[in-house]
Amino acid sequence: MVEKILFIVFGALAIVGALATITRKNIFHGLISLIFTFINVALIYLLTQAYFLAVAQILVYAGAIFVLFTFVVMFLNLSEFREMEQYYPWQKYLVVILTPLALAEFIAVVVSATWLSTRQGITPELLESMGGNTWGMGVTLFENMLLPFEVASLILVAAMIGAVIMARKEKSPSVAIRTWVSGEEPQPDALEQEV
Amino acid sequence: MTIPIEWYLILSSALFIIGAAGVLLRRNLFIILFSIELMMNAVNINLVGFSRFHENLTGQNFVLFTMAVAAAEAAVGLAIVTALYRNKNTLMIDLFNTMKG
Repeated sequence: MVEKILFIVFGALAIVGALATITRKNIFHGLISLIFTFINVALIYLLTQAYFLAVAQILVYAGAIFVLFTFVVMFLNLSEFREMEQYYPWQKYLVVILTPLALAEFIAVVVSATWLSTRQGITPELLESMGGNTWGMGVTLFENMLLPFEVASLILVAAMIGAVIMARKEKSPSVAIRTWVSGEEPQPDALEQEV
Repeated sequence: MTIPIEWYLILSSALFIIGAAGVLLRRNLFIILFSIELMMNAVNINLVGFSRFHENLTGQNFVLFTMAVAAAEAAVGLAIVTALYRNKNTLMIDLFNTMKG
């Protein structure tokens, strides 16, 4: 019973944080609401006996991605940045009408469908007999999903190289190496004076 | 006294729809990136819920891969934001229409 009440509380807080993320004018307020949502999702993972993922969620999202976003928001100096009117105002009304409809469809389908499983579901006792959540995850990861695990490292390397190349400042002509016509090279002492 | 699977599905669809609405409503590139992260989290909740329901830890492994892809996506997205802001001096996506046919 306690589990269900906690699920409702954390889920409601996650939804409130998500709504705040997409409605705040200030980017920083949106970012902080987003992190609030992520932390609530991590607590829901804890309720689901996914202990490793709860810690990974806080480390990766609330740690790494939050710092990355904060760094770029500060780096770009958006203080005088103002959100303009939408180019297509009808899009706003369409979204407000259509997204609750889509959500109602999702909920109708989920509630009316019958969910069956041949198993009983993971319980703390079952995890105990497996040797713990992290142990079980590690065994399945390195037995069944070793190739995807290696490919994930390739994705990270590709993303890193792509990010560095895209964010690099383009060379302007003023910083190009100076060249001289042969025979007109300046004397070393003239260069020293210039420096 | 376990939580029924429907609750996970309803929570995750609510978060996903909110993320989609954010992408469609807001014109700020940062908020759109946040909404994409929200949608990825919604999918993760689904995977974890079904992993518990079916007593199978492969779903939780898949969440790890989603996290890796989300980190890569955030890095590349922020690099694009930086390059766009440097060249165009704005982040309103309606102004990035040079490739419009």
